[in-house]
Amino acid sequence: MTTRLIVNGIDKTFGDFQALSDVSFTIEPGQFVTLLGPSGCGKTTLLRVIAGFLEPEKGEILFGDKVMNDVPPNKRNTAMCFQSYALFPHKTVYENIIFGLRMRKVSADEQRKRVKEVMEMVDLVGLENRKPYELSGGQQQRVALARAIIVRPEILLFDEPLSNLDAKLREKVRVDIRNIQHSLGITTVYVTHDQAEALAISDVVIAMNKGRIVQKSDPKTIYNRPSTKFVADFIGSANITPGTCTEFAGSTAVVDSLYGVLRVQAADLTPGEEAFLCIRPEDFVPIFAENAPHAVNVVTGSVLHAVYMGNSLDLFVKVNDHVVRISAAKDCPIPEGSQISFTVQPDKICVMKG
Amino acid sequence: MMKRRKFEWGYLLLIPGIGYIVFFVIASLYIMVAQSFGFYNYTGSSEFSLTFWQNVFTRTFFDDLWFSFRTALLTALVSIVICYPLSLLMQKIPGRKTFLSILKIPMFVPALVASFLIVNIIDYHGIINIVLVKLGFIEEPLRLRNDPAGIGALVVQIWKNVPFQMIIMYSAIEAVRKDVKDAAANLGANRFAILKEIILPITLPSALVAVIMVFIRTFNDFAISKTAGPYYPTSISNLMYLHAYTFGDWNTSACIGVMMMVTSIVFVSFYTYISKKIAD
Ligand SMILES: Nc1ncnc2c1ncn2[C@@H]1O[C@H](COP(=O)(O)OP(=O)(O)OP(=O)(O)O)[C@@H](O)[C@H]1O
Ligand SMILES: [Mg+2]
Repeated sequence: MTTRLIVNGIDKTFGDFQALSDVSFTIEPGQFVTLLGPSGCGKTTLLRVIAGFLEPEKGEILFGDKVMNDVPPNKRNTAMCFQSYALFPHKTVYENIIFGLRMRKVSADEQRKRVKEVMEMVDLVGLENRKPYELSGGQQQRVALARAIIVRPEILLFDEPLSNLDAKLREKVRVDIRNIQHSLGITTVYVTHDQAEALAISDVVIAMNKGRIVQKSDPKTIYNRPSTKFVADFIGSANITPGTCTEFAGSTAVVDSLYGVLRVQAADLTPGEEAFLCIRPEDFVPIFAENAPHAVNVVTGSVLHAVYMGNSLDLFVKVNDHVVRISAAKDCPIPEGSQISFTVQPDKICVMKG
Repeated sequence: MMKRRKFEWGYLLLIPGIGYIVFFVIASLYIMVAQSFGFYNYTGSSEFSLTFWQNVFTRTFFDDLWFSFRTALLTALVSIVICYPLSLLMQKIPGRKTFLSILKIPMFVPALVASFLIVNIIDYHGIINIVLVKLGFIEEPLRLRNDPAGIGALVVQIWKNVPFQMIIMYSAIEAVRKDVKDAAANLGANRFAILKEIILPITLPSALVAVIMVFIRTFNDFAISKTAGPYYPTSISNLMYLHAYTFGDWNTSACIGVMMMVTSIVFVSFYTYISKKIAD
């Protein structure tokens, strides 16, 4: 019973503020899709439109081939984990969690079985009889999560469901969500601010900005081949420079950029064309005279700061008056103030037209 | 340590504000109780005596107490039954702000004026009777005012108290968070289930408060029962007035006052106990 979700040309305005403009995408049955975008870009609004709490001015929502626009929220068979939790303040944790099952008239036996399962999953065992105001923020969030997951709907909508959990629990619950979703084949839309999380669990990542969809790709593509400056900058850190193509031969372009002249493996650039280049910090490799005599794309600068990140040493290097960020190996012996050279492979440079 | 000391001294600052209120409340309560035992007489001797207490518990006293109690309870309950659905309905309708202000008018009409207004409507020659007779539903005008059953007084009380409860209930219902209702709908609850599972239980404590406040207001009422109520039995406040001003017997009047307070306190305690049980 897994369902395809089609969002087709949705416009939503609040007064004269356009919160969603012409939002369209399709999510294949059983896919796990992450919505990623800055605060206020319309992620929650989009989920609320899908769940049926907000009526769009234009466009259609389809579950499979059923148009849902006129179906009230309680008949849509979605379950949403609210950003604000929206727990029932007068009900206990247990009553909150079984609410959806009661409304769906699931048998008492089945109710008990499933509650046990989700309570264990979100680590709430022992808190069954507490009221929401007797819980910590993270515990409340887990109740909200459990309350949504337990109903096993056609479509699951998560609005930053793990934002208040500690790193360890977040990772565990994230895997659990993914497993349940995968084994039941529930089509899922998942909103998060955490781009690492988005890349880690999604089949597809949708990047949004100012009420519009900017890019929809699998995690690898969206990270390595961002289509715009906005996406490159928002997902991970990126060195972005404008550049002008001076030469194009075979599949390699020569681009004059802020970091100097770079050779770029590029699909379609014509001499004279302007574009932006995106280079990920970890794609820059420091070179020492002895290890790379024939290196291409050599850039030289002086190290302003060296920041120890735990798993890497991030260098902020001044190149032609611009700061470039490089992730070097964590035990790399480069002191602040020294001159270094580094290189980047032509196929690691992403060309963006906007 | 320093902080704590400072804080305690800070309570003294409350004295000008709260001190004199507390003083007058305690003083007047004390005088009332003392008077009921024969002290603080305006005329004659002031000495300890139980005679007033022996004389209080007459047939009239119990009839009047029961009348006040019954009217208060019925008013509180009927009002909430009227006001709750009305408050629910008001959440949705367009132009509700205007509507709400109109509904609040009875609150600002003094009880006495309200009584006279209503009395004009339900009087022997009042609008209702005239219309009913003209339409031929009844031969003789009905006695709606000062009727022995006290329906007239009850109607006036309800008219006056529904808006009061509406202010409480409307805000209580309005305060139920939209996302909580959305969450219920999202999990499959229809309108009725949302009302039963979410709105009613969340607003129940406010409804309980609204009931008790109207009960106390009505139980202590003097003006409305005096004008629209039956000649016998009358309200307990009226009996108190009668003893003090008509018979000049302030001591018995004080006894009745003490009994009014005791009844209120007993009822409110009992009610609070029950509502705690319900709320859990
Ligand atoms: N009911 C409303 N009335 C008016 N404006 C609204 C309303 N709801 C949302 N907005 C506006 O619409 C925009 C999108 O809001 P939305 O809640 O969808 O953002 P979001 O992407 O979920 O942000 P965040 O990551 O901070 O949760 C915001 O600018 C917000 O101010
Ligand atoms: Mg949001």
